[in-house]
This record gives sequence, structure tokens and C-alpha cells, in this order.
Amino acid sequence: MDWLEEIALRDQSEIQALLGGKVIKEIESNPRLGRADKLKRIKEQIRRARFPQLTQAEDSIRARIQDLKLHPDIKVTVPPGLEGGSLQVEFSASNHQQLKSQIAKLAEAANSDSLAEVFGILAGSRDV
Amino acid sequence: MQPFRPEEVIVEPGSELSPIYRNLKATLPEVPFTLLDDAVLKNGHGDFSARDFGSAKRKLLLTRHKGEFLKKCPGSDGQVCCNYFVINFASNCSMDCSYCYLQEYLADNAALKVFSNVDDLLSEAEELLNKHRRFFFRIGTGEITDSLALDPYTGFAREVVPFFAEQPNVLLELKTKSDCVDGLLSLDPRERVVVSWSMNPQKVIDLDEHGTASLAERLQAAHRCQEAGYRLGFHFDPMIEYPGWEQDYERMLEQTFATVNWRRISWLSLGVLRNTPALKRTMRIRFPGSRLLTGEQVLCPDGKLRYFQPLRVEMYRKMLGSIRRQAPTVKVYLCMESKEVWEQVFGFAPSCEKELGSELANFGF
Repeated sequence: MDWLEEIALRDQSEIQALLGGKVIKEIESNPRLGRADKLKRIKEQIRRARFPQLTQAEDSIRARIQDLKLHPDIKVTVPPGLEGGSLQVEFSASNHQQLKSQIAKLAEAANSDSLAEVFGILAGSRDV
Repeated sequence: MQPFRPEEVIVEPGSELSPIYRNLKATLPEVPFTLLDDAVLKNGHGDFSARDFGSAKRKLLLTRHKGEFLKKCPGSDGQVCCNYFVINFASNCSMDCSYCYLQEYLADNAALKVFSNVDDLLSEAEELLNKHRRFFFRIGTGEITDSLALDPYTGFAREVVPFFAEQPNVLLELKTKSDCVDGLLSLDPRERVVVSWSMNPQKVIDLDEHGTASLAERLQAAHRCQEAGYRLGFHFDPMIEYPGWEQDYERMLEQTFATVNWRRISWLSLGVLRNTPALKRTMRIRFPGSRLLTGEQVLCPDGKLRYFQPLRVEMYRKMLGSIRRQAPTVKVYLCMESKEVWEQVFGFAPSCEKELGSELANFGF
């Protein structure tokens, strides 16, 4: 509710109008979504409206991480709210060969422009 | 700036013998003075709810400070600290900024107080400075009050500046959003006093710094202090992000460096808007229309809300770039920021608080 009030204050609009917007209406009327999913998506939409610059930066990072086309066993995540400026990389290996392969893939990713851009965004260059 | 006129001055018995009382009596002849006993003070003049925080500022309580006057600035958990000391000669503030952390910090003790036992303050400072002659102190009086807003009435600066001007190992910082510098101009600071201003563009002052001096008044006051031999500091804090903030802050920096000689600026600090969830709740009650409530802030590990890191790093970089173009060698530091943010903004972080503290002390000269 705080987020809705803050959006209304910032945009000089009414909460009712925000909740009656096209995207939220589409989620509400989507027959393929259950109640919990609808709630989750509506909340995400409200977050996007409340934090447009933050969610844009998160989307940019997400897109660049996808560009890396990493193996599903390698997870690259950013901290909540992008606070801290660091990237977390997780991977697992069940044998020596697999470990070497994962490291090689990561080394390849580390040399890519996409990963450099992710660090750029985290470090305040949001227009990379 | 609107002059402060309390509705009443409430005096604790014993405080009427102090020089601060004499100064108040002389400068506020039309204001009623009431002598109260301890019990009444405890029961009726210290407790104000969030809604009453504003009314707490309309009465002035003159009382003795019972604890220590000098404290190490608490800083903020996990953030780079600048090894600063604070003297609390008063509590709460006659001005009313919507983002002021005192609304939370003094929520249970909101009375606007000035402490009458200045002699105890000076004895304590003398003892500390004498005991650690090899350590250079930076001491400020503007942590839980404005250093100068009440000075036309209390004459506090006149009571303490001559003492600090004589000390070999201290810089006293008087931090303000006022233009109340008349009391300073006839004193000789002997390079031991930095007068500093919290700065924001006029648009922010109009919307969120209620009862403070305008930007032009602050700059004019700074110019007068510089002419009188004082070192200057400027705190661009809290920086506020809004559409067009870059142009407004750039213009403010241009005005600043056009008004004062930057070569005699001791330090500039940068900091973005910070609040806590509790402070935000109070702001909602007291300033429900403030756009500051709508910033893209996230909760940081120290429990404070700040603009998300890439945004605030970008803000700091833009400000730093503008400062560097106009005042290339002036010392700039960040207030309450992590090592990571320092590194992203400056390319380095101080190795310890003593390093930053002593650098700032050296830049004072």
C-alpha cells in the first residue's frame, strides 16, 4: 500500500487509477493464472512502477547475463536492490573434468562485453 | 530567513546564572521566560509525539546538560568513518527539514533545548585536547542541532570560538543551514574554525528545508565568514534525485564557486538522502506531500534507506566531475558510504578512519 501511495504522490495520480491500469487488468483477467500467481505478478508490476530506474537496471543486467548463455549449472546473481556492487557466481561440479569445464565456460564469459557491462551497470554506468 | 521567535523560554533553576541565559534575556525581550522545577520539566516538556514534533520546536528549554558533551560521531554501521567528534551544546533544531533524522532520533525527547553549562563543556574539551596533544581533533557542533540557527539569541559561538581558536590540535566545525553568522564576524578564528553549510538547490530548500536560509543567503553568509578569516566547508548532503536534478546541482555548484574562494574551502562532502523505515513513517505523518518519500531507495545493510547503489554512484560521479572542473584540488569525501561506493566513485577507499580523519584535518589548512 505504501508503494501505491508513493506512486500516486510522485505521478500526481489516484491509487484507483493505478490499479485499474491496462497491465494490471490483463493480469487480473488472465484465466491461466491462479490467485497466487496473479498476486505475485501484480505486486511485481507495482514494484516496477514504484522503482522504474531500479527495475530497468535489473532488466539490463538480466538481459546481459542471459547473453552469456551459461550452462544452467552456473548461476550468476546480483544482490537485492543492486546494493553492494558485486556479482555472485555459483556453480557446482561432481568431478574434476566437470569443474575444469565450468571454469573454462566462466573464463570465456568473463572476457565477454556483456559481463563487463554488468559490472559497469553495478558501478553506476547505467547507460552502457 | 525568518527569524526564530520561541513562544516561551523555559528555564531550569540554576540555568538563570549562565551567560546563555543573559544572552537570551537580552535578545528576546518580548518572549516570556518561565522558571520551572525538575519535576515539571520531566513531566511536561520533554515528551512529544510525531505529530507534536513541530510544536516542540516552538518553546526553548534552557537546562543543564547532565552527561558528557563530547562524543565520537557514531557514523553508521559498516560505512567509512571520518573520525569526527561532536559536541552537543543544544538538542533539536528551530528549523524543520522534512527529511531530518532528528524526527526519529529525538522522537522521545523532542524539546528544543539549549544547554546552559557552557563552562562544563569547555572544561571537558580542554581536558580532552590537553590529554591527547599529539592527536588532531575535528569537532563539530551540528549533529543534533544546527550550529548557528540559535546563535543570534544564545551567543554560543562567542562563548566557545575564542577557546577553540587558542587550541593547537583542533578544528571546530560549525555546521548550519542558516545565515546567522553576525556573532562570528568580530571573532578571530585563527585558522581553527571551519564554518560549513548544508547545501541544496533552491528548489529543494523551498520544498523540504522549511525555515532555513535560502541558497543565496547561505552563500552570502559563507562569503562574509570567508572575508572574516574563517575556513569554509560545504556539505552537499542530502542530495536529492528528481527529474532535472543534475542541472540544479550544477547551477548550485557554479553559484558556490562564484561566491567564495574555493582555495580556502577545507572540505566538501557528498551524501545522498538517507532515512530509515521509522523515519519514513514519521515523514508520512508530518510531511505527507513530500516527494522525498517517492525516491528509489533500497534498504542497505546498515538499516538505512538510500537510492539504489548504481543510481547514487552515478549521482556522486556527476557531482564530483562538476566539482573537479571548477575547484580541481578541493578535498571531497563521502558521508556514510561503504568502501565499495568509495571505490566506485573515487577509485580508492581510505584504509581506515584515522587516514580519512587526518587527511581532512590537513586539508583544513
